[in-house]
Amino acid sequence: MTTPTTVLFVDDDRDFLQSKQLYLEARGYRVLTVESPDAAMALLERETPAIIFLDLMMEHVDDGFRLGYRIGKDERLSHIPLVMLSGVAAETGTRFDGEAGGLREWSRLARFLDKPVTGKQVLAVIEELAVVTPDGEPAAV
Amino acid sequence: MAEGSILIVDDEYGVRSGIRTILEMEGYEVAEAADGASALAALDERDYDVALLDYRLPDTDGLSLLQTMKQRGCEAMICMITAYANIDTAIAATRQGVDFFLPKPFSPDDLEGVIVTLLRHKKARTEAERLRAEHEASLLALAEEKTQTHSLVSSLRDAVLVVNRDGDVVLANPPMLELLELGEGEALMRPAQELLGGGALATLGEQLAAPAKDRTVRQLEIGEQAWMTSIVTFRDDDGEARGRILTLSDISEVRRLAMEKQKFIRTMVHELKSPLGSIKGLLEVVTDKSLGEDLDQYLPMIARADHRIDNLVELIRDLLTLARSEQAPEAEEAELVPVAPVLDEVAELARERGGQRGVEVITDLAEDLPPALIRPDDLQLVLSNLVGNAVKYNRDGGTVTIRGAVVDGWLRLDVADTGIGIREENLARLWDEFFREKRAETRELEGNGLGLSIVKRLVERAGGRLEAASVEGEGSTFSVLLPA
Repeated sequence: MTTPTTVLFVDDDRDFLQSKQLYLEARGYRVLTVESPDAAMALLERETPAIIFLDLMMEHVDDGFRLGYRIGKDERLSHIPLVMLSGVAAETGTRFDGEAGGLREWSRLARFLDKPVTGKQVLAVIEELAVVTPDGEPAAV
Repeated sequence: MAEGSILIVDDEYGVRSGIRTILEMEGYEVAEAADGASALAALDERDYDVALLDYRLPDTDGLSLLQTMKQRGCEAMICMITAYANIDTAIAATRQGVDFFLPKPFSPDDLEGVIVTLLRHKKARTEAERLRAEHEASLLALAEEKTQTHSLVSSLRDAVLVVNRDGDVVLANPPMLELLELGEGEALMRPAQELLGGGALATLGEQLAAPAKDRTVRQLEIGEQAWMTSIVTFRDDDGEARGRILTLSDISEVRRLAMEKQKFIRTMVHELKSPLGSIKGLLEVVTDKSLGEDLDQYLPMIARADHRIDNLVELIRDLLTLARSEQAPEAEEAELVPVAPVLDEVAELARERGGQRGVEVITDLAEDLPPALIRPDDLQLVLSNLVGNAVKYNRDGGTVTIRGAVVDGWLRLDVADTGIGIREENLARLWDEFFREKRAETRELEGNGLGLSIVKRLVERAGGRLEAASVEGEGSTFSVLLPA
C-alpha cells in the first residue's frame, strides 16, 4: 500500500475547507486543513505536505503572501509548491496574481487561482504540481 | 435767442451800460462789476461763460485780476477791453491766458462777433473737458476691473497661470506660486516653460506651448496631491488669441473618495465571492457523491450551503440599506417616534436570542423621555443592530442595559454590554464597512461588518451622532445621541 499524497489547505472558511477535504479524500488524498497562518506554521513543524493551498485574504489582506514567504525561508519546506487562492482579481482591476512588485517571487508562488475554486480545479493543480515520487511518496524530507 | 452769461468788469459806468444794453438785446444774461473786488465777488456767486475785463481798474489791473480769477478756478472765456491797446500789452495778455483782445472803441457788431466766437470756444472747451473726464472715468473703471479680476483669480482655490502670446507669465495666483515655489511677483514676465521647469510640472510646460488640438485635460500627481490640469486659449473681442490660461484643480479629495470606493468594491466582491465559493464547494461534494450513495450523509452540507445563502441574502440587504443610508433623507420621512415601544420590541427579540445563553436585557428609560425625530424604520434598525451586537458579543450570563435620557440637550440612548469589549486601537475603525475585529473570541461569531456602518449613517442622517466606549474583556457602550 502506498502512502497517500498529503495536501494542506490554509483558509479561514470552514465550509470551503470541509468541501475540499471531502472531495479530495474521496480520491485517496490525505487532506490537512488549518484556519490561520500561525496554525499552518505550527502544523508544518511536523508535516511536509506535497502541495499547499493558501487563501490570500485571511486576517490581513496579504496573509497568503506572508505565509508563502515564511514557508519559502524554511529550507525543509521551501520545495513545496504554493498555490494562492483569492476572490479578488481581475474584475476589480487590482492585480493580486503576485506578478506585481515581485510579490510572486517573494512569496514563491507557483500558481494563482481565482475563487470560487472547484474541487476539479484543485485536483488538476495537484496532479500537475504536487511533489510526488514515482511510488507516491512525498518527494523530500 | 442767444444763450450765455457774461460778466462785464469796467470802472466806467457808460461803457458797462452800453455793453449791457447791446448784449441784453441779443438775449444774453449780463452782470456788471465796477472793480476787481466786486468782479471776484460776482464770480464767487456763480460761473460766467465770458468775462469782459477792462485793462485798467481802480483797485487793480486787468491782468492781475485775470490771474486771481484763474487761481480761483474761473473757467470763463476772457476778453480784454482797453483803450490803451498796443502790441506789447496784447502779447502779454495773451500769454497770461486772455482769449481775446478787443481794443476800444469798438462797434456793437465787433462786440457781438467776439462774444459769439468766445461762446463757441467755450462750448468746445466744455465738451472737450467733458470727454476728457469721461475718458478718465472709464480708465479708472478699467483699472478697477483689472484689480477685481486679479483679486478674483487670487482667491481661487485652483492654481491659475496666465501667459501672453509669447509664453511669458502675466498672472500667477497664490496657489500657483506655491506650486512653483515662487514668491509674489517672481513669476511675472518670465517664460512659463522655464518656470514649469523639468520637474513634475514639465509636461504642463510642453502642453502650454502645444497647439490646442494636442492639449488634453489630464491628471497630475505632485507629492500627496492630485491635480486636474486644463489649458484654454483666451481671446479678445475680435477672436484674436491673446494668450493661454493654465488651471490646476486640486482633486485629491475626489481621488481619495474614488480610492475608498474602489477598496469598498474590492472588499464587497470578496465578501460575496467567498461564500459563493464555499456553497459551490459544498454542492460539488454532493454532485460528486464524494461520500457515497447515501444522501443522508450530505444533509449537513446542504444545510450549511443553505445557511451561507441566508447570510448572503442578509449581506445584500445590508448593502442596500447602506446605499440608502447615504442618500439625504426626505424631510417628511422623519417623524416624532416614541422610543419606548420600539425599544420594547427590540429588547423582547434580544431576550429571546440571549435567553439560551443567560444574557439578561434591561431597559431603563426616563419617564419624560421625548420622542425621537427620525424615520421609524431607522430607529428600529439602529436599536436592533446595537442591542443585537450587545447580546452577540456578550459573555454567557452577561447583561445588556439600555438607558434613555435627555443629556445636555440630546436624546441619549446608551446600549451597554458586559461582553468581550473592543481593542482600543480598533475603536476608530468600528464604523468602516466590512470591518470586523479578528480575535479568538470573535472566531465563532458570524457577521458581515456592515451593521455599525449602517447605524452610524442612519444616526447621522437624523442629525445625531454615535459614540463608542469600550474596555477589552469588560464590555462596550454605544451611545446614540439624537437632537431632542
